Amino acid sequence: MSRRIGVYICHCGTNIAGMVDVRAVAEYAAGLPGVALARDYKYMCSDPGQELIKQDIKEHQLDRVVVAACSPLLHEHTFRNATAQGGLNAYFAQMVNIREHNAWVHVEKKSATEKAKDLIRAAVYRVALHKPLEKKEVPINPDVLIVGGGIAGIHAALTLGNAGKKVYLVEREPTIGGHMAKFDKTFPTLDCAACILTPKMTAVKTHRNITMWTYSEVEKVDGFVGNYKVTVRRKPRYVIEDLCVGCSECIEACVYKEAKFPDEFNLELSKRKPVYLPFPQATPLVAVIDPENCIELKRGKCKKTCVEACGDRKAIDFKQEAEVKEINVGTIVLATGFKVFDAKRIPYYHYGKHPGVYTALEIERLVNASGPTGGDLVLRNGQKPKSVAIVHCVGSRDENTNKYCSRVCCMYSLKLAHLIKERTEADVYSFYIDMRTPGKGFEEFYNKVSSEGINLIRGKVADIYPETPGGTNGRLVVQAEDTLLNIMRKVPVDMVVLAVGLEAHPDANDVRRMFNISCSTEGWFLERHPKLAPVNTFTDGIFLAGCCQGPKDIPDTVAQAGAAAAEALALIDAGSIELEPNTAFVVEEECSGCKTCIPLCPYTAISRNEEKKIAVINEALCKGCGTCVAACPSGAIKQNLFEDEEIFEEIKGVLIHA
Amino acid sequence: MKRYAYFPGCSLEKMAQSYHHSAIATMRVLGVELEEIEDWNCCGATAYFHVDELLAYTLCARNLAMAEKQNLDVVAPCSGCYKNLYFTRAHLQHEPDLADHINFALEEDKLHYSGTSAVRHLIEVFVQDVGLDAVKSKVTHPLKDLRVAPYYGCQILRPRKDHEDVEQAQYFEDLMTAIGAAPVDFPLKLRCCSGSLVLTNRKAALSLVRNLLESAGAAGAQVIATACPLCQVNLECYQNQVNQEFGTDLHMPVMYFTQLVGLAFGLQPKPLGIGTELVSTKPIVCHARQDSA
Amino acid sequence: MTDKPTFRAEIGNLLYAAGGNPLDACMQCGTCSGACPVSGFMDNTPRRIIAMINAGLKERVLASNTYWYCASCYQCTVRCPRGIDITGLMYGLKRYSIWNRQPKEGMIGPVFSETFVKMITRTGRSYEPVLAKSYIFTYGLPEMLQEARMGTTLMLKGRLPMLPARIKRLDNFRRMLRRIIPLGEL
Repeated sequence: MSRRIGVYICHCGTNIAGMVDVRAVAEYAAGLPGVALARDYKYMCSDPGQELIKQDIKEHQLDRVVVAACSPLLHEHTFRNATAQGGLNAYFAQMVNIREHNAWVHVEKKSATEKAKDLIRAAVYRVALHKPLEKKEVPINPDVLIVGGGIAGIHAALTLGNAGKKVYLVEREPTIGGHMAKFDKTFPTLDCAACILTPKMTAVKTHRNITMWTYSEVEKVDGFVGNYKVTVRRKPRYVIEDLCVGCSECIEACVYKEAKFPDEFNLELSKRKPVYLPFPQATPLVAVIDPENCIELKRGKCKKTCVEACGDRKAIDFKQEAEVKEINVGTIVLATGFKVFDAKRIPYYHYGKHPGVYTALEIERLVNASGPTGGDLVLRNGQKPKSVAIVHCVGSRDENTNKYCSRVCCMYSLKLAHLIKERTEADVYSFYIDMRTPGKGFEEFYNKVSSEGINLIRGKVADIYPETPGGTNGRLVVQAEDTLLNIMRKVPVDMVVLAVGLEAHPDANDVRRMFNISCSTEGWFLERHPKLAPVNTFTDGIFLAGCCQGPKDIPDTVAQAGAAAAEALALIDAGSIELEPNTAFVVEEECSGCKTCIPLCPYTAISRNEEKKIAVINEALCKGCGTCVAACPSGAIKQNLFEDEEIFEEIKGVLIHA
Repeated sequence: MKRYAYFPGCSLEKMAQSYHHSAIATMRVLGVELEEIEDWNCCGATAYFHVDELLAYTLCARNLAMAEKQNLDVVAPCSGCYKNLYFTRAHLQHEPDLADHINFALEEDKLHYSGTSAVRHLIEVFVQDVGLDAVKSKVTHPLKDLRVAPYYGCQILRPRKDHEDVEQAQYFEDLMTAIGAAPVDFPLKLRCCSGSLVLTNRKAALSLVRNLLESAGAAGAQVIATACPLCQVNLECYQNQVNQEFGTDLHMPVMYFTQLVGLAFGLQPKPLGIGTELVSTKPIVCHARQDSA
Repeated sequence: MTDKPTFRAEIGNLLYAAGGNPLDACMQCGTCSGACPVSGFMDNTPRRIIAMINAGLKERVLASNTYWYCASCYQCTVRCPRGIDITGLMYGLKRYSIWNRQPKEGMIGPVFSETFVKMITRTGRSYEPVLAKSYIFTYGLPEMLQEARMGTTLMLKGRLPMLPARIKRLDNFRRMLRRIIPLGEL
């Protein structure tokens, strides 16, 4: 068939023209089969450059376009648009990279020019066979699922709810609030965490657009951007949420007169009964019954004084079962947060062995007025510590544990130093390697805390051991080299606070598989681009917010949650999303139903039609990676824009001298 | 019948011959034959590595090559020898050029090194190769909860060989429990005994030895068990000098773990070398045998 | 025409064979000094030595007694958060100072090590009484007497070797060593 191909060679200033003889290449291209005209121009991506294409299509009746310029990642979109505006199908344009692939990696003009000619010839052969294609439009369900009810999830939920969208907020614990609900004061303002968090928690609960499901987990996710079908399992609390008013009478009346079981919210520093409220401002304020330890649920034989105390409200229901809910949403925001480093992994810090060693999170609970000691910072023997050591970088910046810096520990250590000094008048020693206080107001906070008389020692703690062999008097000696003074410091203290780093949840890998996204090597969820797309993932419609993407403090978490909400809103308000048509498709007559392709798809886009016994590809999920195309033993799968003939022509064009 | 190429090391010839005798005797009870590498040479200790690395590797490679001739894995009772032999083998595995160069030298003794003999520490053989169950089964005179401070020292665990945990080893304690002793919580069990510093930097070494002895005492130990002749000599033979230097009054018996195992196996004290110590081990033997002495 | 490598590069080369991360990775956290059981006796702690090497202070490093106090216990190496083989560095510095004929004055370590190596070369085995001469004369009188007393007791208990041991194939052994480096005065 005779074609009328227009070939455009961009100078890109001197980027290309400095190494490739663009005039010669244009002359060469003009002589290729099917080429109606060939031009070279300084900046093809500019308005006049694009105008050239549009004009030529009309004036010279071009039916295909080849643009030889920079990387398609930058301007494929531009030239396809220009071609479409000129009146042709956008996919009749083919872009050739003669900058990154050619000019920028050559040191000598002659071979660079020859290579440019080869690449353009290949494109000319190929583009002649291009078929017209159209982008697919997929509608976006306006409802949103947010996984995780910490500050990130809460903020995203409120933003989206206020925008008028229906939000499902699913939280694994019996209450929302996340880690922030455990803190006492937050840096750098020393705002009381609960005071600033609880209004937002209440707002979530009462918001007419937000459905809050606590004590629930996402079980299964099917579908694709704009059309996700999610299965959520609501675990039984054995208390009817709508009927319970959180009066705590059942807890008072429980047959266990003394609290006996480790209280997870207080990091096991105190005990609770089998029926409990996680903390006084829990949202929803509904009791939970722990089936592992409740006598009625374990053995079926209990006086059930709790039911009696509940009286007419009849909120307790021992027969309650897990509820499975199926919802349809268009976008998902993951805000699943972090876990702290397990300090037992550093045995010479004696965490878990010596009673005087605590993690920073445990201290947060101790200084918290609603914590296990009512806000008194005391040791396990009830006495106030007279000297406290704060050890920085526990499980961070360390090849033996986690290589990264956890970003928040220097600031929270300074905060704890301030709080400990305030509450106990103890001597506080902070052992650090570097003091990392980069945020707004952070340096000022550092300044303020350093002038409160704490001892800042620059040296990583190398060893901790009992002061007297046998450890009889309970004090521990913290040993580090003071690298600024050049002396060895051996400081005896009553209490050691380990500034533990942040880590991804241990089940992060399972969660990411469920949502079809990736994790980085350190286990955090992977963003699409660390600078330019920190809340997007490589899966359209799924966004990240907060520490699940990497360690960060509350200001940055809230900012990211807002960003994720905005990204979701952008999709929802657009109403529909356009999908690139370079997807694979199954030629039904040729498919033998062998199922080879189905498990290979990294995007789980292929399923089996049981009636016809053939494979079916979901165009919306398909990303055009080509794996199934290559793997199909019958050759029954083809890919738009990458059909066999197109590829072979391109290869022929490149290898013509061979 | 398990067999190993046995590398005693220079110390076990005379200074730590009780370790040598008790090792062979206890291994025999467990059905393991230790066949001494004929014509073994010194492993180089730490001093050889202070002068020339390549020569030091060659010294170790010669021993490994001779074990290969016996077609057996090597077992070394001394932590220093163990570390040198183990890491020579690991290093030569990573650097075939170096191995070639050393093989060129080994030709002079008609030897060839190919790295087929693994290197084990004697205590590893007890705990892993033979197994604690087998050890327990041969115990006829359990040590009646003798309070033992298990002293690992340094070079048996460090440097790291793979990604193992070098801070929380428990196998020495497990071995002591298996023979009926009661291991105490000895916080300095991984701290260095100062090795050859006792000759080259005497004051520093005596300070380290003192800390170790005091810590073991405070932990309630009746005896310190070691797995290395340097540790035993430093902790035991220099106790007098520690007392003179610091005015302390330490009398802590220090024995090889094989001697304790031997007592638990019902072997006689003398063939285990008991009685050659500078700090008397009579109270330990008495406790173990519950004699009325 | 090659430039003479800087001191920093020379030490880096020494460590290359030891594996682990190079000294550039050091963040001067002080864990090595803190974990070292003998750092209190050194004039410069291990961390400081690394800083001095990175700053190219060759004379100061060679004048330091740090590495001669190293007991090779590897506690620093296993705890270093940057994965640097510090013990390997200490071994390297010992060798460097001996090769450069600049071992620190008044330290027993260099003489002891050289005596040890000579002894092995001569007999293939170690023999304590020969080693004694490398350190005993630097002791004060009370210490010498203590050592002598200990030595006598050990001899009476049969724990001190009377005669030096020798390996059988000593000639082969010597030729083997010569194939690595010429033995020179050794």
